[in-house]
Amino acid sequence: MANRDPLRDIAEIAIMRSRNFGADMAEAYISSNKELSIDVREGRVETLKLAEERGLSVRVMLEGKTGFAFSTDLSPAGAEEVARHALFNCKSTAVDPYNRLPSPGGLYPGLELYDPDIHKATVEEKIALAKAMEESARAFDPRVKVIESSTYQDGEILVTLVNSLGIDSTYRGAYCGIYLALAAGEGEESQTGFAMDFGLKYKPLNPAMTGQEAARRAVRMLGAGPVKTRRTDIVLEPYVATGFLGIIGPALTGEAVQKGRSLFAGKTGARVASEKITIIDDGAKADGIASAPFDGEGVATGRTVLVRDGVLQGFLHNTYTAAREGVQSTGNGVRGTFKSAPEVGFTNLYIKAGDKHPQEIIKEMESGLYITEVMGMHTANPISGDFSVGVAGLLIEKGELSRPVRGAAMGGNILDFLKKIDGVGNDLLFYGGKGSPTLRITGMTISGQ
Amino acid sequence: MVDKVLLKEVLDAATASGGDFADIFVEEKSTTWIGCEAGKIERVQSGVDAGAGIRVISGDATAYAYTNDLSSQGLREAAKVVSHAAIGGKSGVNLDLTGVKPLVDFNFLERPEHVSTEKKADLVQTADRAARAAGGDQIKQVIVSYGDAVQKVIIANSDGNYVEDERIRTRFMVQAVAASGAVIQTGYEAVGSLCGFELFNNNPPEQVAEEAARRAVQMLSASPAPAGRMPVVMAGEAGGTMVHEACGHGLEADLVQKGLSVYGGKKGQIVASNEVTVIDDATLPDRYGSYRFDDEGVPAREVVLIKEGELVNFMYDRLSASKEKMVSNGHGRRESYQHKPIPRMGNTYIAPGKIDPEKIIRETREGLLVKKMGGGQVNTTTGDFVFDVAEGYLIKDGEIGPLVRGATLTGNGPQVLSIVEMVGSDLGFTIGTCGKEGQGVPVSDAQPTMAIKEMIVGGTSQAAVSPNGKIRRL
Repeated sequence: MANRDPLRDIAEIAIMRSRNFGADMAEAYISSNKELSIDVREGRVETLKLAEERGLSVRVMLEGKTGFAFSTDLSPAGAEEVARHALFNCKSTAVDPYNRLPSPGGLYPGLELYDPDIHKATVEEKIALAKAMEESARAFDPRVKVIESSTYQDGEILVTLVNSLGIDSTYRGAYCGIYLALAAGEGEESQTGFAMDFGLKYKPLNPAMTGQEAARRAVRMLGAGPVKTRRTDIVLEPYVATGFLGIIGPALTGEAVQKGRSLFAGKTGARVASEKITIIDDGAKADGIASAPFDGEGVATGRTVLVRDGVLQGFLHNTYTAAREGVQSTGNGVRGTFKSAPEVGFTNLYIKAGDKHPQEIIKEMESGLYITEVMGMHTANPISGDFSVGVAGLLIEKGELSRPVRGAAMGGNILDFLKKIDGVGNDLLFYGGKGSPTLRITGMTISGQ
Repeated sequence: MVDKVLLKEVLDAATASGGDFADIFVEEKSTTWIGCEAGKIERVQSGVDAGAGIRVISGDATAYAYTNDLSSQGLREAAKVVSHAAIGGKSGVNLDLTGVKPLVDFNFLERPEHVSTEKKADLVQTADRAARAAGGDQIKQVIVSYGDAVQKVIIANSDGNYVEDERIRTRFMVQAVAASGAVIQTGYEAVGSLCGFELFNNNPPEQVAEEAARRAVQMLSASPAPAGRMPVVMAGEAGGTMVHEACGHGLEADLVQKGLSVYGGKKGQIVASNEVTVIDDATLPDRYGSYRFDDEGVPAREVVLIKEGELVNFMYDRLSASKEKMVSNGHGRRESYQHKPIPRMGNTYIAPGKIDPEKIIRETREGLLVKKMGGGQVNTTTGDFVFDVAEGYLIKDGEIGPLVRGATLTGNGPQVLSIVEMVGSDLGFTIGTCGKEGQGVPVSDAQPTMAIKEMIVGGTSQAAVSPNGKIRRL
């Protein structure tokens, strides 16, 4: 063969050695990444970071047991060592008849994941993007006082996946994005704001808009006062709504169901949310930052509707949870890095856009609270669905946003929350792999002073 | 891993076109992780991650490159990349690479690689059984995880320093899920330290498991926490989430210098009640956040941050220290060779006082007793923080009353620390992974039993936004 891929050769050696050591089935995953990030502050490059990372992991099955090992040593000897460790780790795990690797056969979606413009743009051009974003934030309002970081970031990845059942796949992808975090100040008071713009394509990055967005978020909170305890309708900005989707997410995996920690277990076919809510995971979404032709096990990715018009349709699966459930993998065997085995995870997870402009949603309201910041979301309990978070935002009075408020708390249960959604905006926005439009929820209790 | 001759060549290449300071951090980290759920050992994973990070600082600018390729060619290429980004003249490069003396030494008694995987797996299963036995029928799920890491590092820099170090950390976590009717509660306990398998000499796995199971089962019958302002007693055993969030992050010099800390410009001022002394000490034996050298090769030492209410110091790495013409006080840490060092906490605690902890409870007419804290987060710009209460009780007339659930405490760092009224003689550490700028590092934190005049339960007094420091309990 003329153009042998050296990474594939190493993957094949790892498979061969695993088989020699006695594995019934073996899988080798190799990723090779390059990343660039540039932090700018006050018009100067504060940090320029270039990264190259390569690694191999091997997963083996032997008599119903599974073992996993990884290494950054991509020599033939390194591959053999990883195979040996994977087999060794296999010995201490429990026998489970559903441990298996996928066979080839799925049709991979055709995706354009590699924009050559990202690679073509020079470092100087990328620095200029970060500078332009910072300038646009400062120009937006003189009260923008501190730039925490104005960052440009990109990366490319080459994934090679081979298993002993015949899967032999590879793909190349790239992403890029800009991120700005800042603080606005007036007198003693200081408020923070941020904005980001990440995607698969270089040219659409919009530093001017991102800079203004971060500045607007901080400035509009200046002068925030307390709010009285009240029962009111609330509107969640897409970023905040996406945070709540993050609490629901884990419960939508087959793993959570099988382990008894999904609050949606046994509810397939039942109404779990307002009829306005449709939740989708789509690993083959065009322009999706988490899109890939195949998942971390070599299974084709695809679009899985999890909740349709409020009714639970099913769960996400990798090969293991699908086998246990007697269904097909949904292509959600996700690997964070080569250092982790493929676990059930999300790709591009989002709440489908509705048809109302967010301004219309607010306009209909006599009073309410527009929530722009939530604190303590990571303390929500994904098993029970209980959450208690700090919130800040803007009051809604007679269909308009009025004064900023902070110092409020909002508690509840996510299941109840999903059912009380009565408005979905047409403004679906992604923050990394997750996204949501603006959402309105009726009758929430906001505790303040 | 990499010899001194090559290190010198790399540093030389990195500073070829200028720079005030350059360093290289070479790391080889071997890890083992065992996960058990539903009574079965589901995952046994191990691996080796090796690589090097090379940094050049010129003025305020940092250029950083990392690679897994530890060959001479791989390192030279990375050095070349950073040298291009360096600007300005070269100043005082010294490539003597002389060893640095530590101020403390740690001994690892039972190295993880000398303990068989079977023995580690047995320990995990022992905990699983113990949790189920302790919690009875109400225990629906038990998750146990064991992890160890042997991290070998070499640090060399253009000040001529050379450090070789090894950090061994072991951690163990049990989460129990209990259910009764429609009520589901979880209980959680974790131990970890800068040590090997000897961790379990003082922390038997059964004990960790029983604690997690007990908490899960007890929470089933807890009533919802009341909301509002009330006096709060933090038990010594509750852990140090509050000190970590209320002031720890805000005392990291990079945030202070960027104008992102409520403690900025307050050195020498009173920022807490005179009962409060806050220390970060990475030299403590047998703590999860301990280290001999930080990740810039600076020897760890005790750093008093707040002394009897007065702000006396911040936590510095080399870069933030140089901006104030000072030297680092040993707080430059990084998650791995893939990250540049930034000021981070190690073991942060409020120093114990003299009062008997029981007396503090007895003298509280009514309020909330926090027996165990969960995770938390802070916005250092405003000092507003929030954390969960994993186990809390109501206090009435000096007596510990009913268990409550779902409590979240919020407050403002300087404000809460200024109303600390009594400080007990005890001290209890908890471990966690502290996240900042996308880097997780192992830390521990502690505080004695403390009476706080009032805090907001179940709400946020000044809702903080966009947290820039948070801690997750392992």
